[in-house]
Amino acid sequence: MPKHALTALALCLGLAVPSVALAEWKPNRPVEFVAAAGPGGGTDTFARVVQSALSKNELLTTPIIVSNKAGGSGAETFIYAKSNKGDPYKLYFGTQDAYVLPLANKLSYSLKDLTPIAAMVFDPFMLWVNPKTSGIEDVKGFIAKAKEAPGQLKLGGAKAKEADETLMTLIEHATGVDLTYIPYKSGSEAAIQVAGGHITANVNNPSESVEQWKAGVQKPLCVFENERLADTTVIADGLSWHDIPTCKEAGIAVDSFAQPRTIWAAADLPPEALAYYTDLFTKAAAAPEFKAYQQRGAQIPRLLTGDAFKDFIKKHEASYAEIYKRNGWLRAEQ
Amino acid sequence: MDISRSTMDIAAACATAAVGAVVCYGATLNGIAWGDSGPEPGYFPFYVGGLIILGSAGTIVQAWRRRAAGHDRPGADAGADSFLDGERLRTILAFFLPIVAMVAVSAWLGLYVGMALYIFYALRIAAGFRTLTAALAALAVVAVNFVIFEKLFMVPLLKGPILEAFGIY
Amino acid sequence: MGNFGQLMDGFAVALTAHHLMIMVVGVLLGLVVGVLPGLGAPNGVSLLLPLTFTMDPISAIILLTSMYWGALFGGSTTSILFNIPGEPSSVATTFDGYPLAKQGQAARALTLAFTSAGIGALTGVLVITLLSGWVANFALRFGAAEYFAVYFMAFASFIGMSGGSPFKTLVSMMLGFAAATVGIDTISGESRLTFEFDELIGGISFLIAVIGLFGLGELLLTMEEGLKFEGVKAKLDIRVIARTVAEMPRYWATLIRSALIGCWMGITPGGPTAASFMSYALGRRFSRRGRFFGKGEPEGIVAPETADHSAGSCALLPMLALGIPGSATAAVMMGGLMIWGLSPGPMLFSTRPDFVWGLIASMYMGNLIAVVLVLATVPLFAFILRAPFTVVGPLITVVCVIGAYTVANHMFDVWLALGFGIVGYVFKKLDYPLAPFVLAMVLGDKAEDAFRQAMLTSDGSPAIFFSNGLVATMMGLGLLLLCLPAISLLLKGRAATPKDGAAPAPEGRSA
Repeated sequence: MPKHALTALALCLGLAVPSVALAEWKPNRPVEFVAAAGPGGGTDTFARVVQSALSKNELLTTPIIVSNKAGGSGAETFIYAKSNKGDPYKLYFGTQDAYVLPLANKLSYSLKDLTPIAAMVFDPFMLWVNPKTSGIEDVKGFIAKAKEAPGQLKLGGAKAKEADETLMTLIEHATGVDLTYIPYKSGSEAAIQVAGGHITANVNNPSESVEQWKAGVQKPLCVFENERLADTTVIADGLSWHDIPTCKEAGIAVDSFAQPRTIWAAADLPPEALAYYTDLFTKAAAAPEFKAYQQRGAQIPRLLTGDAFKDFIKKHEASYAEIYKRNGWLRAEQ
Repeated sequence: MDISRSTMDIAAACATAAVGAVVCYGATLNGIAWGDSGPEPGYFPFYVGGLIILGSAGTIVQAWRRRAAGHDRPGADAGADSFLDGERLRTILAFFLPIVAMVAVSAWLGLYVGMALYIFYALRIAAGFRTLTAALAALAVVAVNFVIFEKLFMVPLLKGPILEAFGIY
Repeated sequence: MGNFGQLMDGFAVALTAHHLMIMVVGVLLGLVVGVLPGLGAPNGVSLLLPLTFTMDPISAIILLTSMYWGALFGGSTTSILFNIPGEPSSVATTFDGYPLAKQGQAARALTLAFTSAGIGALTGVLVITLLSGWVANFALRFGAAEYFAVYFMAFASFIGMSGGSPFKTLVSMMLGFAAATVGIDTISGESRLTFEFDELIGGISFLIAVIGLFGLGELLLTMEEGLKFEGVKAKLDIRVIARTVAEMPRYWATLIRSALIGCWMGITPGGPTAASFMSYALGRRFSRRGRFFGKGEPEGIVAPETADHSAGSCALLPMLALGIPGSATAAVMMGGLMIWGLSPGPMLFSTRPDFVWGLIASMYMGNLIAVVLVLATVPLFAFILRAPFTVVGPLITVVCVIGAYTVANHMFDVWLALGFGIVGYVFKKLDYPLAPFVLAMVLGDKAEDAFRQAMLTSDGSPAIFFSNGLVATMMGLGLLLLCLPAISLLLKGRAATPKDGAAPAPEGRSA
């Protein structure tokens, strides 16, 4: 097949004159972005923002097609990646789910089937309540309420046994309270349930709850970061993101729990393609469209590529594995 | 090669009952109890499977009774009581098997090749058009679909090795 | 009312030549997308999204919503002509639309569908205009228990509707529930009924089931009957369109009932698909011509179409006001809003009134344009029907196969659709009703999720389903609807003298 011949040729050239060959790979046909979430979900928006940053600034001139494979909490995307080994025209967009999903579920793919390209940005997590219906104004009030009636305080989040529920177990572990987790299809659905007073609290990225905050039906209590967020623009109630205390200083001793927005390719990606995409997404992270997306979501601008990203994955996976083990969520035969 | 309606009724009900049994079994893997805070994941599927079996059993009994009551009666209208006869079965298979073949070919050589061969077959052999007409129609179908999906909406259909060899991705 | 002043400003925004052109283009693209069963409105809108990155948000949302209207109309076309619902929400249109087309009245059926759809959509927009401020607060009152009550009402109105064997209805509905269960469970995060097949972990797509059961199943039946679409020799007569439009006032009761159901289901989380089913079921029960439903009755087309489109329009309101999409398409558009730099939510109405009211104004215009354009396509489609089945049949087959593939770009789905095709054929011949299957598949997992969320919220106490006036009323209505057929059956049973105690529904037999 000519495609393989070309790859072989490129590899030969690469051995002979590495720098030239590395610089020369360029996509010459449409690139597919597969988002591990349904339309409108966080990962979907992420993929489409990157798409718009790339095409508007003409960083990538071949067409970009965004498709969604949300099945199995996104596992479908990475199983699909496994069947497209070495294909440099398909990139996969996700979060930590790429390496966390196989911890709890028996899936036919593993991290070995993926080539990490970049973590473009980190979404912080916050603890939200509706101050009017719950009467909770700060973290102290939250803990007091939870201790008053163990198991009675309902905390919502997206999906089961994923980031949101994991974070809830961390809160329980750090404060010794007993909460009840209620899973919804998406973080914004949980946010609306809090806004409507049907449940007491939720953990969520800022972007999915900020409009409810402005409308006065939700309020952020604290952010699960080691330092406060940087943005000092006033959002609502005369407060900015920077004015929200970290959960640690407010009394919930949970370390930084940010969600990386990650980009992957299938295993055996040609090294020159990896170099090309690493460079491409580094440029995309600096594009105005992406900056605006970051600011809207109060995200933490932290770009990880290459070995730094690999190290991060290793550590992040290990920390999730530890929490999962404590919660008894690890899949049986491990 | 006549399949009577009641035979088919019973066969279909056995099949649905088997599906029900599979559903019940699958549900037991998730836990089927009603816990402290509502049902476990397998609770509803288990009873859904059970109801499928129940409904299937009801259908079998009904079909059996009808068969006992009406089938042996002389002079019953054979046509109304027949689900499928040999000739109709052949017609159906002549239509359905090429579709299966198209899908098999598509999985291997890509959807465009599959649909071209299928349209050509359907028009040339099944409908009896001339070879040239059928070939042109097949090409037209491929071209229209290619423009709509690949160009207009940018939905890549499965290409397969042949098109990729020609540099069409 | 202040709303009307703002609406006028909105019209000033929407009624430029540029925007009108965008509407025409959007509607036309939407028609193409709607006609192709795999693409559908959500896919179509997400495919167009990249085009909008360089547009200003108002033009962009007008393009996307116009495409949505076009797709909704296009979906009904294939339902009526080929028994293949182009959109999930037009499944109920096949029940009477296809029989009427088979009787040689395809043009009339299409016109009925399009006109009532237009009326439904405009009612929906009117509701949005009048109630925009109130709806956001109302929607906040919907917790898990209320969600469940909405789904329960939809089920209850449908149960006991079909006249055939109760055992077969039961099996059909339960199979639908089982199909909806496949995949990862929201509440526990466990995979259910996948038996460790990778292909099943994403669940069974509703569209695949519909393409197989209705599209391929019907093709097999037609093939068996001897290679012809019956009654397609009807002459093409433009005057049919005008005459059909003129008969619309006759269906006023159905129109009003269906529009109300549609708006209700659009504002609450029921969505257009559930709305069209519920409207069809209630139409069948309460209309004077109810007993003709399923045999090509005009009201059987008017009811689901009106509800489908009024729900489709109303579903945009929770998206704008709460950031909760009322339908899959709305979810895609919401993603678009965020990329254009707008945040859907309660503040959008005050921060960007030009956007919101421009959009609402464009909904009036877009739907009017869609009705006109789509009526213009009626002769074209009626013409297609005159081609011999030996040509049309394979073409439809190809459309079905591609459609099944494009749902998720899986060849496995195509095989699954073939399997559903055989099931559809056998079930139809054995008089299994397919509607309960479809409804259960659409709403089954949502209803289960809502039920279990509610139980978690209440610590396992079912009292939550009667804990406030709203949810108690909805549950009460649902229970009433559920018992209605049993009560009427009881009354009927007492009146008649049954010869054969085991056969309460003899009319289903002869088919």
